[in-house]
Amino acid sequence: MIGQSRVAELEMPGAAVEGVSSRPAQSYWNESWERIRANRVGLAAGILILVFALIAIAAPLFSALLTHFLPQTIDLDVTFHPPGKPNWLGTDELGRDTLTRLIWGGRVTLGVAFLTVAISLTVGSYVGMLAGYYGKWVDDILMRLVDTVLAIPAIFLFILMSILFRPNPITLAIIIASVGWGGVARLVRGEVLSVKERDFILATRSIGARDFRLMLRHLLPNVLPVLIVSASLGVGQIILIEAALDFLGLGIQPPTPSWGNMLTNAESYFFHSFWLVIWPGIAIFATVLASNIFGNAIRDAFDPRLKS
Amino acid sequence: MLAKYVARRFLASLVVVLGVTLITLVLMDRTRGTYVPGIDLNPALRPEDIARLRADLGLDRPFYIWYITWIWGVVHGDFGRSMIDGSTVMSHILDRLPNTLELTGTAILIGVLLAIPLGIVGALRRGSKADHTMTVVSVAGFAVPQFWMGLILILIFSVTLEQHGLPWLPSSGAFSAVNGGDIIDRIEHLVLPATVLSFFYISTWSRFIRSSMLEVLSQDYIRTARAKGMSDRRVVYLHGLRNALIPLITLVGLELPGLVSGGLVVEVVFGWPGIGKLAFERALQYDYTTVMGVTFFATLLVIAGNLIADLLYGVFDPRIRYA
Repeated sequence: MIGQSRVAELEMPGAAVEGVSSRPAQSYWNESWERIRANRVGLAAGILILVFALIAIAAPLFSALLTHFLPQTIDLDVTFHPPGKPNWLGTDELGRDTLTRLIWGGRVTLGVAFLTVAISLTVGSYVGMLAGYYGKWVDDILMRLVDTVLAIPAIFLFILMSILFRPNPITLAIIIASVGWGGVARLVRGEVLSVKERDFILATRSIGARDFRLMLRHLLPNVLPVLIVSASLGVGQIILIEAALDFLGLGIQPPTPSWGNMLTNAESYFFHSFWLVIWPGIAIFATVLASNIFGNAIRDAFDPRLKS
Repeated sequence: MLAKYVARRFLASLVVVLGVTLITLVLMDRTRGTYVPGIDLNPALRPEDIARLRADLGLDRPFYIWYITWIWGVVHGDFGRSMIDGSTVMSHILDRLPNTLELTGTAILIGVLLAIPLGIVGALRRGSKADHTMTVVSVAGFAVPQFWMGLILILIFSVTLEQHGLPWLPSSGAFSAVNGGDIIDRIEHLVLPATVLSFFYISTWSRFIRSSMLEVLSQDYIRTARAKGMSDRRVVYLHGLRNALIPLITLVGLELPGLVSGGLVVEVVFGWPGIGKLAFERALQYDYTTVMGVTFFATLLVIAGNLIADLLYGVFDPRIRYA
């Protein structure tokens, strides 16, 4: 009882220095959200990604109502049609509508990117948390594993695995995530090392919380900001990697369109049909750009000290 | 102290190298049950011939035996022979290495030479038009797919210029096969791929120099130097830049592995006969002695790059101690 009243005394608002506590208390998440909203460019980038994602999800709708083409519809009468009507963004060597393929390609490309991020974050944060929390030999073994994964020149590993697995979108996501989790694990481990020394962890443990509960309910929420930032920056990087693999012919296989393999295709014809190389490139560029800007905005919002 | 540090790092690296090569081999091993390189070229072979071929290449042994044999060879400087053409893996690597070094070395050099002044200008004229423009360009530099930029440059500088009868740049290879190979010819071939590769370096590094310059210039010793009446130029270049460049050392050191693998996509787009393209082509043909050799080599570079960056860091910043 005595201890409690002392704590209460210390936390009494009246005890605070005058003029300092005039602002109502806000949660960390609320404050961060306010800062994101204040960042116009960052917010616009976030909305752009959202719009692209929605378009990708609604691809069949767009096909049926807007473009009136399907991505695989071949029409040999209108090959290499320049942008105009009815093919707004032109057609390719088989007369397929570029806009339709772009929309369906976005479905594949964005889907792979989000799935990859999800896998990397899940595996990476689990490994990082185990390593950081238990330390000692667990840490040694897991972190040597991470070192090894990150020391393989990633592109070689992707090439080998793609040859082995002949990827569809899901295996491709697993392939890219097989390297991506390493960076996340390192990041999370670092955070956990600092968070686990704080008093509230000791307090939680002293009232008998199990390791698993401690990690899930108390460590994870504290690591979450780092994870969100790494996720939003990760989407852009993964789209670039995925597009490069597609371009090398090791990613999504035709006739399924993806932004990357549309470019592979375009490479053979672009000296007379430049639009084939322009549109998918712009789609990739815009998405990656938006993801980077949005990621930076989130990072600044969560940790204003980092703002450059 | 330093020797002990290097020794410990070396031992840790050994584990990593073993891990990397083992992972590579296991991945490649999954394909060899059914496949002998080149076998599809000759359908007339009898099963016993195929068995003999597989034995010759060591493909009849379990992968761990193969691995131990391979490691034994590497320790003695023998990377084995290519499974496709029978010439040594080392000769393949040495054949392609100069081309790769030419390309990535040029790109890194251009990157450093342009990033430093751009970063300084951005920091000194913070918030100016020039600064904003550079911010936009470097943000774009992170987002542009390298192969796409390569294609666009080819479209403009090779295809369009040639169509209009203007002097154009070659889009493929490291030199012309016919009447080529002199220095002018090589530089002409180098321009486009080196531009693509260095664009990324410039956008990354100039940002770093800018922010580390800003940080350094706000420190007390800079104010002291100014207070003593030292000229702006001296303050910036003598005291500021020296310290602002330290992070760049790490960054450039971390690009060392990129010397081999970083340019892979660019090498493929521009048909540049480098190491990355070699690994890519040979992986497609399941020539895994060659792939193992290149991977081993690239991994060594990753480790060496990290180590060199860390050590140089200490040379330039005496506050850092190795424990």
